[in-house]
Amino acid sequence: MYEVRFHGRGGQGAVMAAQALAEAAVIEDKYAIAFPFFGAERRGAPVLAFTRIHDQKIYSRTQVYTPDCVVVLDDTLLDTVDITHGIKENGIAVINSTKKPEEIELGRKIRTAAVEATSIALELLKAPITNTAILGAFSRATGIVGIDSVEKAIMSRFGEKLGEVAGRKNAGAARMAYDRTETGMSSGGKEHAIRKQWLPEYRELPVGGVLGARTTDAGLIGPGSFIENKTGEWATFRPVRDRNRCTMCLACWFDCPEGCIIRIDNGKDLRTDYGYCKGCGICANECPVDAITMMRL
Amino acid sequence: MTAMRDLPDENLFVMGHTACPGCGVAISIRNALRILGKNTVVYVPASCGVVFSATYPHAAMKVPFLHTAFENTGACISGLKAAYEKKGKNVNVVGFAGDGGTYDIGLQSVSGAAERNEDVIYICLDNEAYMNTGIQRSGSTPFGAWTTTTPVGKLTRGKREFKKDLPEIMAAHDIPYLATLSVAHPADFIRKVEKAKTISGFRFLHMLTPCVPGWKIDQAKSIEILKLAVDTGMWTLYEFEYGERKVTYRPGKMRFVKDYLMMQGRFRHMSDEDIKRMQGWVCRKWGQHYGEKGSPEVCPVELPAEHHAITEDHRGMHGP
Repeated sequence: MYEVRFHGRGGQGAVMAAQALAEAAVIEDKYAIAFPFFGAERRGAPVLAFTRIHDQKIYSRTQVYTPDCVVVLDDTLLDTVDITHGIKENGIAVINSTKKPEEIELGRKIRTAAVEATSIALELLKAPITNTAILGAFSRATGIVGIDSVEKAIMSRFGEKLGEVAGRKNAGAARMAYDRTETGMSSGGKEHAIRKQWLPEYRELPVGGVLGARTTDAGLIGPGSFIENKTGEWATFRPVRDRNRCTMCLACWFDCPEGCIIRIDNGKDLRTDYGYCKGCGICANECPVDAITMMRL
Repeated sequence: MTAMRDLPDENLFVMGHTACPGCGVAISIRNALRILGKNTVVYVPASCGVVFSATYPHAAMKVPFLHTAFENTGACISGLKAAYEKKGKNVNVVGFAGDGGTYDIGLQSVSGAAERNEDVIYICLDNEAYMNTGIQRSGSTPFGAWTTTTPVGKLTRGKREFKKDLPEIMAAHDIPYLATLSVAHPADFIRKVEKAKTISGFRFLHMLTPCVPGWKIDQAKSIEILKLAVDTGMWTLYEFEYGERKVTYRPGKMRFVKDYLMMQGRFRHMSDEDIKRMQGWVCRKWGQHYGEKGSPEVCPVELPAEHHAITEDHRGMHGP
C-alpha cells in the first residue's frame, strides 16, 4: 500500500489534490481512498489531507501516520510543522519551493523533489493555488501514477467543479510542474523543534476553565495570547507603502483585518508588522492615493 | 463624535488571530472593540468569531471573553450584565453573534433580551450564511445566492427566498437604539458604536461583514464590496433611536444591483430573469428606506403588486 500525506494551507486545495490523486490511481485500475483531516480550518491555516493507493481493496480508514510520501503545498510550513514525522525509511518529500532539493532543510536526509509550484500557479491560474501543479511533481518524483492519468483526473475533478477551461488550465499546471521538478536529497542538520503545549492536569485547571493572561513554560495563555501566533507566514504577497505618497488618511489602519498596521511616532507615521500580515491586499485596494503596492514574497 | 485619527491605538483584538485573510468579521470586531474600550466583556456563540479568536487556552481578545452554546447570546449577555450589576461594576456587555446565531437559531433569545430591555449591546455580524460550518443557507442569505444547501443545478438556481428583514423585527421590539453599520463607512461606523456605548438599555448593531470564501470574492475587495452594497441598495445605513427612524447615509447615485452580484462567485450563475427580480426587490427596499423611487434608469420596471416573498416555488408548494 502506498500512503501519501498532504500538508497545505486552507484555500490551497490540499483536499482536492488528495482526491484528484486518488482518482488518477483509479484511472490506472488501482484502488484508492482520499480524505481530509477534520478540524477548524480557516484559509491560510495549516491543514492535512491523505491518500492511500493499493492494488487490492483498502480497508484501513485511519489517518496516515507512516507515509511513503509527504506532499507540501507551501514551504513556509517547514518552519512550523515537522512534515517528515513518521515518514518511512525510503520515503520521499515533494515540496513546493523555490530552492533546490539539496538546500531544503528538513531535519533529516531524505529523498526530496522540489518544484516552484507557486510561480507556475500564478503564471497559469493567476492565483497562488498550488494543488494541481504539485500533483505533476508527485507523478514525476514517485512514478506511482503517470502524468497522463493525473491530467485526466484533474480534468474530470476540476472540470466538473470549475468548468472545462479551468480544468484544462489546471491540467496544464500539472504538466508544467512535471517537466520542471528536480529530485535530490534534502539537507540534514538540526532537529525540528516541536512547539511545546500547555497540558495542565485536571487539578491545575481553574474552576470553569477560566484563564487569566499568564506565561507558562509553553508560552503565553489566556486573553491576548494569540500574539504568539505568527500569521505572517501565510502570506504570498506583502504590502509595501510609499511614504512620500502617503497622506496618513488612516484608511489602511482602520481597514486592516489583522491590525498589523501600527501608528508610530505619535501618530505621524505607520509601520506594517510583516510578522502578522496575511497579505490580503485590502490596504492596497483601499488606499485613496495608491501609495501601497503588493509585492510577491 | 471621535474622528478616526483620535481613536485609541490600543488593539484589544490582537494580531495573530486565525481569521481568513481579508475577513470582514475581523475588521468589524477590532474596530467595535477599539471604540467600546477596555471596560468591555465579550460573549461569542458558536461562530467563526469563536474559532478564530479563541482556541483554548489561547485567545485573541484582551477583554474578558465567554463562550457557551449557539442559541443563547441574548440570554448569556443578560446574565452577564446582571452578575456585573450585582457586583457593582458598570461594564459594557457585548454579544458578537453571527447571522445564524441571530436570524435563525438565536432569534428567541435576542427577542427575549430585547423585550426585557436588558442593558447590553448585541452586535450581529451578518455574513449572510453559516460560513463557519462550510456555507449553509441562513435566513439572511439573499435571493439567488449559492450555498451548499441551496445548490445551483438543473432544478434549482441558488436560494429562492429573499433575505429576512431582521432590523425591522428588532425595531418592532421598540428598543432604545438600533443601527445598521458597515466598516466601509468609518465615520458613520464610529458615530453609531459610540452612540450605542452611551445609551442604556438594549442596543442592537447590525453589521454587514463580507466572507471571502463564502461570497467567493477576491480577498482584497472586502471593503470595496461593502461600499457597493450600500450604493446598490443591498444594504442601507440607518438607525432607530427611541422609535425615531433616520437614514444616516444616502448614496449619491443608485447603481445597478448587477454590479454588486457579478463581483461575487456566489451570484455569478444568476439568470437575467433572476437579476431582474432581485433588482425589483432592491428598488422596493430603496423606496421604503429613502422615501423615493430608485433612480429611473435603474428601476424602470413597474413592480408586481404581490408580496415579494411569494415566489414561484411557494406557489408550487401551496397553490396560488
